[in-house]
Amino acid sequence: MKAWAQLAGVLALALAAAAITYWVKGPPERAVRCDPAKLQADEVCLERVLGEWRGKVLWVDARPRGVWERNGMAGALLWNLDPNENMQAFEAEVAGRMLDGTKVIVYCDNENCGTSRQVAGRIKTLQLGNEVFVLYGGWRALTAAKLTRNF
Amino acid sequence: MRTAICSWLAMVGFLHAGGLVFEQELMEIHAPTDAKTVVAEFKFENKSDKPVTIAKFDKVCACISVQVSDGKLSYAPGEGGVIRATFEMGNFAGVVDKTVVLWFDKDPEDKPSQVLTVRVHIPVLVVMNEKTLKWTIDGPPETRKIDITMSYDKPIKIVGTTCTSENFKVEVNTLAEGKHYELLVTPTNTKDPGLAIIRVETDCEIPRHKVLQAFAVIRKDLPPNP
Repeated sequence: MKAWAQLAGVLALALAAAAITYWVKGPPERAVRCDPAKLQADEVCLERVLGEWRGKVLWVDARPRGVWERNGMAGALLWNLDPNENMQAFEAEVAGRMLDGTKVIVYCDNENCGTSRQVAGRIKTLQLGNEVFVLYGGWRALTAAKLTRNF
Repeated sequence: MRTAICSWLAMVGFLHAGGLVFEQELMEIHAPTDAKTVVAEFKFENKSDKPVTIAKFDKVCACISVQVSDGKLSYAPGEGGVIRATFEMGNFAGVVDKTVVLWFDKDPEDKPSQVLTVRVHIPVLVVMNEKTLKWTIDGPPETRKIDITMSYDKPIKIVGTTCTSENFKVEVNTLAEGKHYELLVTPTNTKDPGLAIIRVETDCEIPRHKVLQAFAVIRKDLPPNP
């Protein structure tokens, strides 16, 4: 058999295997899988925020201002770590919205960004006593749940 | 058949390429008091037996600029390079972590191969022991205080205070000029919930320590955090 025919055969086999996997297991998982048992102490799953707490939380967006303006959660306040931003204005804005004791949920881009944990730490240093969490999966989880704006 | 197997193996090898090994993944830098920028250099080497390409890098903040070894992105086995991250200090103080995320070859968007962290320790020259003073609604309008200590080799004086609410009286008590102060805050009444922003202005020569902020809050007691 010629080499190109052998190659075509291998590719056909691979495609067939992929098709069977898709048929048996369904399309690839795009939602963020959040296992409460594996969360760090300061993290929370989106399911808990929307279910147990019915979404009645203060959302804080830890991403750059441009993306917050473009596709942040409706009602989310901005608090990022860009040195060109006014940190004291962030503090004042967020503190003013924490008076009723609401839980605070901070998100950044995804599981890798780490900014949300630092911002959550800064919110805790306000010493207002509210519970402050980092959203597991961040904006990626919110997008998968169709909770973000996209303009 | 040999050609087909070779093609298959070549594809498998391409999909699994990724072998840049960094000397450090977390770099801690203690910045001088007046530094405006700090630079962190992450050295790496391709310890795999295949070429590796840095397909993309991202930083979580506009305050970091990243350079990869004079723009060179592909590394043969045994070759090495440097990721240079320059961090603008801006108005930060305390400990700040900044990350640089790297994707090699065909890494999926949500699974980068490497996360590098620059942990910058920026001296805090004006230390407040409390950020927020709290009173309970209808509780006694007692005076509460914030202790302010200057941690610098030159004196730093408090030159003024402002408060966003007329319900609070703010006074400065000097314990040691240029070194140690108390901020005394007294509400006129505690009938209504509210939050006031107190700003303390200093004569510090370093801009990020010129204005500090604290809060005075009147509200109902919250249950303790679990």
